[in-house]
Amino acid sequence: MTSILECRGLTKVYGKVIAVNNVSLGIGRGETKVIFGPSGSGKSTLLRCLGLLEKPTKGSIYFNGVDVYASKQDLNKLRARIGFVFQDPSLFRHLTALGNVMLGLKHVLGLSDAEARRKAYEALKLVKMEDWANYYPAQLSGGQQQRVGIARAISMDPEVVLFDEPTAALDVELKWEVIAVMRDLAERGTTMLVATHELRFAREVADEMIFMDQGQIIEAGSPDHFFTSPNTERARKFMAKILG
Amino acid sequence: MLFLLNYSTFIISGFLITVEVTLIGVGLGLILGILAALGDIFGGRIVKIIVNVYVEFFRGSPLIVQLFIFYFTIPMITGVSMDVMVTAILTLALNSGAYQKGYLKGAMEAVFKDQLMAALSLGLPMWKIFLYVVIPQALRIVIPAWSNELASMGKSTTALIVIGVREFLNTGISITAQTFRPLETYAFITITYFIWIYSMLKALDILYNKVKIPGLEPII
Amino acid sequence: MTPLEQIIFLLKAVPVTLAISFLSFLLGLGLGVSLAFMRIYGVAPLRYFSDSYEKFFRSVPVLAVMLLLYFGIGPLAPIFKDPFFTSVISLGMVSGANQSQIFRSAIGSVGRTQMLAAISIGLTQLKAMRYVILPQALFLAVPGLGSEIALLIKDSAYSFIIGVIELMKHTDILRASQRSLILPYISSAIIYVVMTFPVATYLDKWGSRKKRELGL
Repeated sequence: MTSILECRGLTKVYGKVIAVNNVSLGIGRGETKVIFGPSGSGKSTLLRCLGLLEKPTKGSIYFNGVDVYASKQDLNKLRARIGFVFQDPSLFRHLTALGNVMLGLKHVLGLSDAEARRKAYEALKLVKMEDWANYYPAQLSGGQQQRVGIARAISMDPEVVLFDEPTAALDVELKWEVIAVMRDLAERGTTMLVATHELRFAREVADEMIFMDQGQIIEAGSPDHFFTSPNTERARKFMAKILG
Repeated sequence: MLFLLNYSTFIISGFLITVEVTLIGVGLGLILGILAALGDIFGGRIVKIIVNVYVEFFRGSPLIVQLFIFYFTIPMITGVSMDVMVTAILTLALNSGAYQKGYLKGAMEAVFKDQLMAALSLGLPMWKIFLYVVIPQALRIVIPAWSNELASMGKSTTALIVIGVREFLNTGISITAQTFRPLETYAFITITYFIWIYSMLKALDILYNKVKIPGLEPII
Repeated sequence: MTPLEQIIFLLKAVPVTLAISFLSFLLGLGLGVSLAFMRIYGVAPLRYFSDSYEKFFRSVPVLAVMLLLYFGIGPLAPIFKDPFFTSVISLGMVSGANQSQIFRSAIGSVGRTQMLAAISIGLTQLKAMRYVILPQALFLAVPGLGSEIALLIKDSAYSFIIGVIELMKHTDILRASQRSLILPYISSAIIYVVMTFPVATYLDKWGSRKKRELGL
């Protein structure tokens, strides 16, 4: 299967710190992959590079088989086709939930106001936020904000959606509403790459789990593999810590 | 104070000049402030140095000296002399821009820090991010600071008497010279400034409450 | 005069400029603290007075106040015939309104729970104010006071219009005697920047550092 989004030998260095070290992975249409690992293991940086929000120091990124940086494509056009959900929802604070979702539809995809409004409502319905369409971010709970963040990303009909620890900043009781939305998306066949510590979510929906530590992929395999007999001691210990 | 009625057209024209230079000065200052803030955020080393020298000069020296420099020194050096009103408005705009740069930069940086990645991830080009995400928020955040700036510019325009602009305070000086009644004249002038500037502050308060959005609290 | 002599001539006026600024700052400080107290803890008439004072003097140009006192009140009260005295009073009265606002917002930022905590250990409200609220508020007010001092140094230039022999007046004398429009103005502007920049920047940095250290 050809990957929609793929990286080969991706390395990202900040000053003297090697955040991501020679990572290769790909994600195919309809797949859900979960990246997990201790904080500071490079998950976020990897995702931001794949989302074309940061330029890798070394290595290549392929979108639908084309080397993004070598082919000098318009990054903005590609970014519009890759959805991104942030840990901190990063909603635009001067716009309502609806306005947040409409912004990209109008000003990136060039839809008319009515068309953008219709699509934005659809996306808000998917995340069960249509009743809150006219509320400003500050009037919503963290979980609700994150669901709007997801709606904002999926409304653009991206070919792949990257999730950067979308529940990490939320209280326990708010996590589930976000996870439920993500599970729903996975079941609908959305192509997703999710960095998260929610291993039970991973077990239910992931086609593949990827364990990262210190900027490298230590081990990858099916959820069953990780939950029954991980190859490495590091992965086993980490899973034990998270699952308690 | 009834004698002032004899000078009413004179007084009104002086007052209108004061209002005019204040509003144009702050308006142009807003544009200069945005440009200077952008230069300081995104510019290279040279641009940053230029912006900071500009800001420190205009914030650090009295408006009177700035007016003298623009009215006398610069025409002397360049050989180009400008109309006194143009000089006045230009100097006020540069002065106001230096002050406005400070809080516009803070507001814009706050928005960038918070939401730049999110805006980029949607595929918005930089200029659209600036237009649809940064400016609408930054301008709301700075309205309270901006109303201070408008008040302070309104008061500062009195400095224009040193280059002979016939603004509101200057009409008071002329009337005093003719009537020898400084107490009533200056009291009238001072109270009129108060009424005008205070109403401007109130008006901006109302505007602020109209465009206020929950969660977009002002800095300063 | 050589350029150096001209600059020395300008520098000779600096003490007067600084004296006006410093004295008017002190007057403004006294007024500002009292007004802030009246506003926050005073009985109704005092609150009303403080509020009106602040609103009025934040909305009038200091130069208009100076001309009113010097030319308008001067003939009736001879003390206002002295330009130095009149400048200090005008600048100080206006600064009082600014400083009142600085202190009010500083006291407001200390936080309601501090007062509750202080009362809960048995301090009277006055003592809580003296030992708990004010010391913290003072730190918070420092950056604002820094800009206020810089503002007074710049605004002291207005006093040359009623005849105080300070830096701006020396600049004007130099312009006339040397028939030069370049050196006097440029040097004078630089001297002002050199006086205002360190005060404002240093106090701002110091205030922010203290604020961080104390977790305010």
